[in-house]
Amino acid sequence: MQPMINPRHSLSVWTAGLILFASSTAIAGAPQHQERHFAVKHRPVVVLQNIVNGRIEVKSSKNSEVIVSSTATAEKVAVDVEQVGDRIDISASAMGSVSEPQELQADFQLTVPEQTELQLKTQTGLIYVEQVTGDMKLESVAGDVHLKEVSGYIIVKTTGGSLVCTLCSGKLEFTSISGNAQVSQPALTNVNLMTTSGNILYDGDFIRTGIYTMKSGRGLVEVRFSDNDSFDLNARTNLGTVDNQASDFLKPDTHTHHSVASRYAHSLFGTVGQGLAKVELSSYSGTIRILKRN
Amino acid sequence: MQCKDFESVLASEGFGLLPAEAREHLDACARCKEFLADIDSIVAVARTLPAEVAPPDRLWISLRAQLEAEGLIKEQVGTTEHASWWENLVVWFRPRSLATAGAALILAVTVAFLTHTRNRNVAEQAAPPTVAGNPQLAGSENTSAPEETHLTGSGKSSAPGPPPSRVKELKPSPSENASTTLSETELDVSNMQLAGGNGNAKVDASLRQNLRTLNEFIAECEQHLRKHPKDELAREYLNMAYQQKADLLAAMMESGRSEH
Repeated sequence: MQPMINPRHSLSVWTAGLILFASSTAIAGAPQHQERHFAVKHRPVVVLQNIVNGRIEVKSSKNSEVIVSSTATAEKVAVDVEQVGDRIDISASAMGSVSEPQELQADFQLTVPEQTELQLKTQTGLIYVEQVTGDMKLESVAGDVHLKEVSGYIIVKTTGGSLVCTLCSGKLEFTSISGNAQVSQPALTNVNLMTTSGNILYDGDFIRTGIYTMKSGRGLVEVRFSDNDSFDLNARTNLGTVDNQASDFLKPDTHTHHSVASRYAHSLFGTVGQGLAKVELSSYSGTIRILKRN
Repeated sequence: MQCKDFESVLASEGFGLLPAEAREHLDACARCKEFLADIDSIVAVARTLPAEVAPPDRLWISLRAQLEAEGLIKEQVGTTEHASWWENLVVWFRPRSLATAGAALILAVTVAFLTHTRNRNVAEQAAPPTVAGNPQLAGSENTSAPEETHLTGSGKSSAPGPPPSRVKELKPSPSENASTTLSETELDVSNMQLAGGNGNAKVDASLRQNLRTLNEFIAECEQHLRKHPKDELAREYLNMAYQQKADLLAAMMESGRSEH
């Protein structure tokens, strides 16, 4: 004899199962937020390595603590934070084998003391740092790097991401393959920008005794200087052109004789003011444009 | 017979024909019946499982690429041949970070060395007696093309090259070596990526796109330098591109490692 099954009972069991399944799936895909606070005594060092997609935002505060706020794909991304003294190590990585790695994301918001050393590395998201004074090394594959009012020895390395640096001071090094570099209103004493196919725009003062080197393999290199600047200019391009739109302000170079560069037709040497800073611009096949700001 | 004895008989005799005494116990014992039913169901489920799956070919290609990148083997990447000695060895390289770090280090050192060597050659070319006396130190790229005639304005850079007969004896130039090393590594990285297969699409696309950009730029510079071997600016950009390519390939290896 077949046992009797109550259809109503069966339906409720199925419904409960479906609800459980749906909720577990939703939990697994939903972002998981966490915030942790770390007290620090002196200048902290914050190291963040994000090997999944995601954005990193760093802002400063007057408090002697580092706040790490993260939002990551639940149950698929592991976020680890560890403190040893004044050093905070943060990492985000995929948990186990993942069929859709591009869907994995971990976004970070860090609040740090003004004087903090940063070492940040991500894959695709934006790195944004504002009002932090301290040496920093920022690396990204495809994500852009935006810096605002930062100071120190700044190293930015990207594969395809671009740099936008506004009101930065100190020393800046930028290396990229296809990323652009835009430096606005800087107070930088030492600048080294290099990209293979990206463009470079430097819009700001050249500080006396500063050294400024900008190189682009194929892209445009454009500098906009002001009336008060004082620098020696050396601009060279192999296959491109030097577009000098500030010829009224550039005097022939009074310091050195560049026999090597003078071999090439597409070069320009000149001095603005007393020639106190040194500006070297070069491009393999791109244009070099020199402008004076109004 | 007790239940304990029945279990021993089952363990030793298997699920075939049970001795008469064991069958009698089974008929009378509900616990042992349940136990045997459990065992039967486990065996039934186990039989439905697929046989052991052989590792995919791409795995062997990936492992071979790693070993070649480390210099442990030096062969052309080919199709799968299982069960050779090195395939067993690669079990020790499961943490791919070891292989990746090794490969990246070798790559970086090679490029740095070659770039340094090239720079030294350029410096030594400025001293004619040394270059003439030691043709191996002179980069062939500076002598294989016709001498530039318009470069002697300052009178400092007109170092004579070695005689044509000696040019043929020169080793490949460091630039050529760097180019070759990078190309080989690029092949290995491609194989690794094929083997990995499930990377972060956006990151992989960016890395590949930038590799193409670099390759095009390198080709452009190399072509230009063949015509104008003493163009220092072009050579400077070529060396920078080599360095960037080495860094990029290391990043691609790292990206492949992170996927697993």
